[in-house]
Amino acid sequence: MSTAELPIAPLGLGRAALPRIVGSPVERIDAVEKVTGRAVYAADSRLPRMLHGAVVRSPHACARIISIDTSRAERLPGVHTVVTGADTARVKWGAFRPDLYPLAIGRVRYVGDEVAAVAARDPETARRAAELIHVEYEVLPAVLSLDEALAEGAPLVHDDAPGNVAHEFGFDRGGVEAWFDRSDVVVEGTWQSERQWHGSIETIGCTAEWTRDRVSLWVNTQTPFLARQRYATALGLPLRAVRVVQTEVGGGFGGKSGDDNTSVICALLARRAGRPVQLVNTREEEFLASRPRIPMRYTVRLGFTEDGLVTAKDIEVVADNGAYTGKAQAVLGAATVRHDALFNYRAVRAHSRLIYTNLEPTGAFRGFGNPSADWAVGQAWDLAAARLGIDVPDLFLLNAVESGSVSPHNHKITSCELKQCIRRAAQAIGWQAKRAERTPHRGLAMGVSVHVSGRRSFGDYDGSSAIVRLTEDGRATVIVGEGEIGTGARTTLAQIAAAELGIPVADVSVPRPDTDLTTHALGALASRVTYVAGNAVQRAAQQACERLLDAAARQLDRPAAQLWVEDGTVHGPAGPDGEGPVSAPVGAVVRAELYRPGGEPIVGLGSFDNPSEFPDGSRYGNESGAYNFVAEAAEVEVDPATGAVRVLELAAVADCGTVLNPPLAEGQVEGAIAQGLGMALTERFHWQEGAPVRPNFSDYKLPTAGVMPKLHIGFADSYEPTGPFGAKGVGEIALDPVPSIIASAVADAVGVRVHELPITAEKIYWGMRNGEPGAAVPVTSAPAVPAVQDPSPPAGADRAGQEGDPR
Amino acid sequence: MTDTTTHRPGDTAAGGHRTAPATQCAAQPGTAPGTAPRAGTSTAVPLRFRLNGEDVEVHVQDPAAPLLDVLRHDLGLTGTKSGCAIGYCGACTVIVDGAAVPSCLQMAGLVEGRDVRTVEGLEGPGGLDPVQEAFVARAGLQCGFCTPGHVMALRALLDADPEPDEERIREVVDGNYCRCTGYVKILDSAREAVARQKTAPTTEEER
Ligand code: FES
Ligand code: FES
Repeated sequence: MSTAELPIAPLGLGRAALPRIVGSPVERIDAVEKVTGRAVYAADSRLPRMLHGAVVRSPHACARIISIDTSRAERLPGVHTVVTGADTARVKWGAFRPDLYPLAIGRVRYVGDEVAAVAARDPETARRAAELIHVEYEVLPAVLSLDEALAEGAPLVHDDAPGNVAHEFGFDRGGVEAWFDRSDVVVEGTWQSERQWHGSIETIGCTAEWTRDRVSLWVNTQTPFLARQRYATALGLPLRAVRVVQTEVGGGFGGKSGDDNTSVICALLARRAGRPVQLVNTREEEFLASRPRIPMRYTVRLGFTEDGLVTAKDIEVVADNGAYTGKAQAVLGAATVRHDALFNYRAVRAHSRLIYTNLEPTGAFRGFGNPSADWAVGQAWDLAAARLGIDVPDLFLLNAVESGSVSPHNHKITSCELKQCIRRAAQAIGWQAKRAERTPHRGLAMGVSVHVSGRRSFGDYDGSSAIVRLTEDGRATVIVGEGEIGTGARTTLAQIAAAELGIPVADVSVPRPDTDLTTHALGALASRVTYVAGNAVQRAAQQACERLLDAAARQLDRPAAQLWVEDGTVHGPAGPDGEGPVSAPVGAVVRAELYRPGGEPIVGLGSFDNPSEFPDGSRYGNESGAYNFVAEAAEVEVDPATGAVRVLELAAVADCGTVLNPPLAEGQVEGAIAQGLGMALTERFHWQEGAPVRPNFSDYKLPTAGVMPKLHIGFADSYEPTGPFGAKGVGEIALDPVPSIIASAVADAVGVRVHELPITAEKIYWGMRNGEPGAAVPVTSAPAVPAVQDPSPPAGADRAGQEGDPR
Repeated sequence: MTDTTTHRPGDTAAGGHRTAPATQCAAQPGTAPGTAPRAGTSTAVPLRFRLNGEDVEVHVQDPAAPLLDVLRHDLGLTGTKSGCAIGYCGACTVIVDGAAVPSCLQMAGLVEGRDVRTVEGLEGPGGLDPVQEAFVARAGLQCGFCTPGHVMALRALLDADPEPDEERIREVVDGNYCRCTGYVKILDSAREAVARQKTAPTTEEER
């Protein structure tokens, strides 16, 4: 029996019993408004006298703007205003490296770059007017790929970025070369990921309205408070002049985290028009000018002892930033170090560069770079298992981290059930049986990933704060600025509050974030809301409950310590002098406390800052207070005639600590797997002159119900001591290993290992026919090099702790 | 305008903007609350059809405009969503004379005299439609943006065939994108809807 098949011991963690609401399939608090069409998304907002905007975009990858003639557009009936770069504050903005103007000034840098915008009485008129704006360009040489951007003497995308390098860092922790020297087996290869678009069915949109010198923006943003900061900068305004309100968000996945110009342009139009303006991306614009996943090229070298213990890992990463930076440099940071918290590496070295190109800017997408990292590093592990003659799950188990492990970057692993996940995923897919009886053209593979629960990267703070207000009708309002992008965060936070307060979830409301009204919060990113905001809400609810019981103690004449709340009623025991048990509805207690002379509203405050460290320039530092894990295994079938891949079954077991709401957690895993399959198999465009050809769903294929494999979803028995009721994040983790697993399963099925995503039938077809054309090569000639061969060290990889912007 | 009297986008409590009465639209095209005036209203042509069980008349500038735009902009029915505008995603699905159609491809002028149902018309006096109930019960939604389209596609299916087999259910769900759920719980919801449809009191006359 292999180690993967060993029985799983029950944990017996000696946890406190959890409240009944925790772990139960509570109905989403927003379900009814969504199934009835009443939920108000960005494009559903309506303000009196509201105009509609449209944007003029560059048709060139790189050009100088000679002149802009807006006169014909302005004369079109129904047009209210036109704005160009001249009407802006001429301030560059960006999360980390300010390099983006709200509207181009002097130069355009990619096909889709915003040049001018129009506001008119309806969307059609605005679009027609946009077509009437004449921009004269002098087309300049562009760099349309990583290789072109890196070439000697290449044109510069930004004059202040020599060599087109937007960001660079590296480290050598533990001395990799010495460890490679002591390794028995070394594998090496290069793998390249591709732009992947978020494909939220709702596109990015905003409605803006000015009152005197202050603008209110109703935006479908994941991160209202962080977005506000950036929009204020872009508009040249003080923070207090910008208010952001979150509308319903029709899917985010990182794409609505405030790195694009849409809201800024909307605000500019509304100011000049003196009327509210709504600006919503078309699907084409969303494909041309959002911030898709960063294509990354990884060259990976891994060393092992002959028994299969991992020794050293060396990676060289080159990432395609596109024309502007956004969050890409933070993504690159995560994608360089995160996966080192999976296995017990003795030494790790990296050299990572973010390279400007004249292509669509890239940025945050669910997984935050880790799907690209896990695809490349996962492929190297798969090759190593074959070279070592050790079955993949066993190799993983031999090297996996555990609770108490500390990564080379000081990631401190508190709770970790990675080994349990590996064993259970193997069992769920029937690993042993499928290995024993191989079916032709079918392949089996496993992958593992680690993710954070919040990540310290926007300054030295990854916290959240919450106010829980009890109302005189016996309800609770949870005031917290995190918001909802579809994951069910508001429901989960309501559950946590309800569990602490002893009232039904149906009696808890969680209003949408409004920077004027709700508490400060970083928002829905980095799988942080359940863990970080959950802790803040739990504390606020505890304090509200204490205050409620203090008031009830006075009203009911019992010591507060003897009171408890159940189903919305405060209960107390019999009194010392023979009085019977007492009780009062929560609402009555709140009301009596308010109406008492000198009485006060009953509110509780809570805050929580992730117990993590702000990483230094070399990315040393514990990114998060809690790490989540997943193991996934898949079986695929490859059609030998065409190379077409069908994923038959996929098993995923995630360690996200306590599962607060099983259907919601399953939904995160299922949805993440679907996106991972899209990234692995179908999602890409054909490109022409720096732009995607036909940028719509006609050519960009999202997974449909028909291509989904049979899924086996499970959760590890796990408890995170620092999490709310033991919970950790789960929003992204299940996407991360999917591309690697599919690639390995295809290699297992037909002996072809693809080195460039997506893994198309065409690449496999040519791979099966021994190369030509395409990036696939047969496994037999895969670049696994013997240890004796000494590959030349990657340029600049030996710079331990090199300076760089910390993120 | 002040915050107390004006509906703010995102403020779901004040949602009075969304169902502009059809008569008002007919009398004053483009001036109903929350409705953007359309270009060249002087040349607008009247369009009459049955919408969610009521006869409506709306003046449209361009009869070739997509029904989706007329529903959302002229009639204020924003429950029907736009995801691609080229007929691929299914977010805009409505029912025209019993058939699920992408309203982004449906020319508005061609629904003259026909029967159109949108997600706003599903809820009856007895509460949610069984399909809607099923999505609530089986967590068949996350962001919810694709949900009206899925719900309408399944409503059309169940109207045509109250007991569809698994293959038929999959076929229908396969026609609409969802970027959030991975479809597992949408398929669960669809099966649940079939089950609920069997036990639900028939409300043909309501529909
Ligand atoms: S909007 Fe009609 S199918 Fe996408
Ligand atoms: S629930 Fe978000 S697209 Fe389906």
